[in-house]
Amino acid sequence: MIYGLYIIVALICIYTFRHYWFTLNRLFGFQRHPYIDIDTADWPPVTILVAAHNEEKVIANALDALMVVNYPREKMLVVPVNDRSKDRTKEIIDGFVERFPGRIQPFHRVSGKGGKAAALKDAMELVETEVILIFDADYLPGAGLVKQLVAPFFDPEVGGVMGRVVPMNVGANLLTRLLDLERSGGYQVDQQARMNLRLVPQHGGTVAGVRMSALKEIGGWNDTSLTEDTDLTYRLLLFGWKTAYQNRSECYEEVPETWPVRIKQIMRWAKGHDQAMITYSFKLLFGKHRATLRERIDGTLLLGVYIMAPVTLLGWILALGVFYEGFVPLHGIIALLSFTAYAAVGNLAAFFEIAAALRLDGTKGRICLLPFLILGFAVSTFSVSRAAISLVTDAITGAEFHWDKTERFRAAT
Amino acid sequence: MNPFLSVTVLFVLTGFFLVVPIIPAIRELYRKSDAQPLLVIQKHAGEIRHFSEGFRSYVEQIKPVFEQCLSSGTTARGTLKDKAEYFVMGDSAVASIREVRKQDGECNTVVVACADLHAPGVSNFSREIYIRGKFQGGDYNHYRAILGDKDVQLGAHSIVMRWVHSVGAFSAGHDCDLNCRISSDSSIKLGTRCSFLRLNAPRIELGTVVADQNPAPQNGMATPAVPKRYLYDEDFEIPAGEIFHGNVVTRGKLIARKGSQIFGSIKSNKQMVLEDRVLVTGSVISSEHLEIGTNCSVGGPVIAEREMSIEPGVRIGTTTRQTTVSSPKIVSKENVVICGTLWAREHGEVARHG
Repeated sequence: MIYGLYIIVALICIYTFRHYWFTLNRLFGFQRHPYIDIDTADWPPVTILVAAHNEEKVIANALDALMVVNYPREKMLVVPVNDRSKDRTKEIIDGFVERFPGRIQPFHRVSGKGGKAAALKDAMELVETEVILIFDADYLPGAGLVKQLVAPFFDPEVGGVMGRVVPMNVGANLLTRLLDLERSGGYQVDQQARMNLRLVPQHGGTVAGVRMSALKEIGGWNDTSLTEDTDLTYRLLLFGWKTAYQNRSECYEEVPETWPVRIKQIMRWAKGHDQAMITYSFKLLFGKHRATLRERIDGTLLLGVYIMAPVTLLGWILALGVFYEGFVPLHGIIALLSFTAYAAVGNLAAFFEIAAALRLDGTKGRICLLPFLILGFAVSTFSVSRAAISLVTDAITGAEFHWDKTERFRAAT
Repeated sequence: MNPFLSVTVLFVLTGFFLVVPIIPAIRELYRKSDAQPLLVIQKHAGEIRHFSEGFRSYVEQIKPVFEQCLSSGTTARGTLKDKAEYFVMGDSAVASIREVRKQDGECNTVVVACADLHAPGVSNFSREIYIRGKFQGGDYNHYRAILGDKDVQLGAHSIVMRWVHSVGAFSAGHDCDLNCRISSDSSIKLGTRCSFLRLNAPRIELGTVVADQNPAPQNGMATPAVPKRYLYDEDFEIPAGEIFHGNVVTRGKLIARKGSQIFGSIKSNKQMVLEDRVLVTGSVISSEHLEIGTNCSVGGPVIAEREMSIEPGVRIGTTTRQTTVSSPKIVSKENVVICGTLWAREHGEVARHG
């Protein structure tokens, strides 16, 4: 029991160090934004896939925004991927096709396997360009975003691109405010630090892009994955392609406004991520491929972020067990000092990261909400642990994954 | 001490210390003082002309005034909506500007010239200038910002603080300090020892430009739509005179030897050197330092994440296929032509040849 606890403590310390390393890098390190200055170029043709499954509330806003982006019209085709919608999504899309002839080519999917990856896979029959951008239907791209996301593809090493997601409905309630803080930490610090340090920025599957030749090389979209974005990140990495993160390529999204929706969302992410961990971690760490040593280590740690929740829960249980067993793990004073040091520094790692992100974003008042993150952390820990257990039971019972769409809260337009 | 009291005090104190950090959080949750989404610029794309276009709209408010001055050949003064003073000149006489230029060379009004304008040297224009004709600035002038509807020509040792946009050609004499945005719808010419940050024009000439001596792509060597990718884990050299088809990515240093022609893009994760007369039809990306040798030609974007040096005779992009050259530090020799954007994030400089 005690050795199990030691291993868990070691893992937690590794992740704590990682949080601090990333945060200090963002505050004081060399910042990489290599492609953001490319504002003039012979822009390549691009296909923009807009994934939509029952998106009548939001799809019009996304298409409206895409119709006014600053990109050569003759080189840009928008493909709304209407995946078996039962609401007015098809009608709205067809209305746009009429209003903007030649600029939108809809892909109405009426049957087939569920899930975004499966829909994107089927929609590839309409894609003829080397550069593909992907947006979810609740996103509102700004005028310059398409150029910014296409620019990294001038680098022949880049296979995928990821922009920054910014919550739009921040002020709705406590949950949206907490998600806003989490997104800041995750993108402003975590993703950008991984870009700076040449580690593994993660493809997010929306506000993102992929190179067609890279996608073909890695075998296309994986429709068995619940998180096609994580899956894509690792397959690109194993084949020697980089994912570039563009912190200044920001796009508004809608975050969940109710806890049940949030729990469902994070459970799907956790399950998909854990699924990718099972598939790729050993291969990434020890396999023969082109990832560098630092990419292997960081990539493996990134794969483990969701499994750390049940591991932490297990650690708490083991710690209680050890305590009631009357075992003193190390010399009493060393244990006390270690505990105090961790309480002072380790526990604050994630908070420090988010606080640094808020500072980098230039915000002021929202930092006061940091203590409430404990609530978000607790909900996430139990939801993610539940997802891990569900993954195991699915594997035992042979149950198939099914993809749950995130509910929208915007008033229909 | 009474044990009951002790326990009560302990609970109260613990409760107090638990609640203290949450008080500002609860306050912020209900007051929503910072609950707006982060500002994401939706309506423009960071275009270099953003400020000049904004200024053009700003001076439009006195359009009737300068049209009247133009037809009558007179001058006019007044204040704009934001209380800034303006001075409009209907003719091109140098004498007119002396009305608002103090003895010490200071001019702190927005100047609108309806015709050509010659600004005397050693002047300090602390507000914007809008010239509907040609503009010629004297030596040692300081400007805040200039918008020209025709050619704009700055004298030697001029300094611009914010931006210049000229619809016609822009040129700056030697030793100018242009650490701002300079754009032209026609062309930009910078003299030697000029420093710069962000330039954009269909044709940018650095120093005196002589006739092209660059390699032309060989006939029948068109790049395929999707070039094959070649990955190298170590340093890699493209031999002199070699014709290479495909994209090259190296983990180490990349050297393209003299006269090699690459029909595709190249990327190095360390230093990259293009020796003399190298041709690259696609992009050139270096994660560190990039040296571009004499008479090289590049078709696509050129990026160096640390520093870039450009030798004489280099041609990047064409007027019909404009591109971007970007690095934190760029030192370019004379006789260099770049079509599109030249962007030095920290420092750019036109160095004297030899």
